[in-house]
Amino acid sequence: MSNVLFLTENQELVSFNWTFVAQICNLFIQVLLIKKFLFKPVREILAKRQAKADADIKEAAEAKEEAAAIKSEYEQNMLEAKERANEILATAQKNASEKSEQMIKEATVQAASIRQKAENDIAQERRKAVNELKGEIGSMAMEIAGKVIEREISEKDHEKLIDEFISNVKA
Amino acid sequence: MDINIVGPKVFWTIDLPFEVPILGGKIEINETMVISWAVMLIITGLCIFLTHNLKVEKISKRQAVAEWLVELADKFTLGNMGEKFGNFIPFIAALFSLSIFSNLISLLGVRSPTADLNTEAAWAIVVFIMITHQKIKAGGIGGYLKGYTQPIVFLTPFNILSEFATPIGMACRHFGNILSGLVINSLIYAALAAASAALFGLFLPEAISSIPFLDVGIPAFLSVYFDWFSGVMQAFIFCMLTTKYISSAAEG
Repeated sequence: MSNVLFLTENQELVSFNWTFVAQICNLFIQVLLIKKFLFKPVREILAKRQAKADADIKEAAEAKEEAAAIKSEYEQNMLEAKERANEILATAQKNASEKSEQMIKEATVQAASIRQKAENDIAQERRKAVNELKGEIGSMAMEIAGKVIEREISEKDHEKLIDEFISNVKA
Repeated sequence: MDINIVGPKVFWTIDLPFEVPILGGKIEINETMVISWAVMLIITGLCIFLTHNLKVEKISKRQAVAEWLVELADKFTLGNMGEKFGNFIPFIAALFSLSIFSNLISLLGVRSPTADLNTEAAWAIVVFIMITHQKIKAGGIGGYLKGYTQPIVFLTPFNILSEFATPIGMACRHFGNILSGLVINSLIYAALAAASAALFGLFLPEAISSIPFLDVGIPAFLSVYFDWFSGVMQAFIFCMLTTKYISSAAEG
């Protein structure tokens, strides 16, 4: 089947032979080889990188969104807190002014009642004093009158005199 | 001095039990095939080297080169052919890498596989089949055949000629450039050897002066054009024409 190895003969410079068929096969084999060993692995890695880049971008967008949400929530909270603080302050002010007003009112009322009571007490004391004085003056007058005019005034005159004196005092 | 420019060396011959028309009854394993396999091994080895241990982040220089190559292939193919030809990318990349490495391997002193018309003919016939396939896909078999009678029936023979001129032209352009480089390189080596012998023969004994000193270094300058520039250019042109022909075929 085979001849001698390493013949030193050469083919014609331009001849058409089985090399043609071999080179067609070689071309297609090379296509497959280059596809398998260059294009496939590189495309795979490029696709992976693309996927990673997409994922990173998506992640970043999500993080940004989340941050924005947190920020708006924070702002909302701040606003609420501020409002609440204002409310509390307003309420406190209102309460305080109400309380102070009430206290003033109460104090006024109390002062008025104390004054009233004091006046009443004074009036009562005065009445009491007048009554006591009346009794005392009556008996004193009687005693003095008895002593001064013991003998010259009858019992009848005596009583009349006392009454006169009392009514004078009363007036 | 004899300068003999011949085809590739034959290493091994396999006799087939039957005769195949045109191709003949024996398969000759020659320089072109063996060096093509070496080229394929180099390309595939390079691909494996560039793409091992790929990472998503903090990529190595190797990976950057691999990604750059893929992007280059994408840009070249899609840019010349349009977005819908994405499945042609590995084909164009294989064609380009085979062509450029086959051309440049002559720098190592071996015979380029592309200095054998069979190689370019093989590539061109594949491209031709792809062109025809795209044409039939675009216009149907009727539209494809009708295209030969355009703009008038009288031109049909010329249309057929021009159709076949496409792959023949592509193959011969590439082959001719590489072969001319090979021929000129051979001539230069021979001429420099002769000049060297003549020059040093003036004052040195023949045993020493027959060593072609002038062949060291000087041909390297000429190989800048004949190997580097021409090799890269022809690979580029072949792929450019492939993309343009296929995409214009698809347009109908």
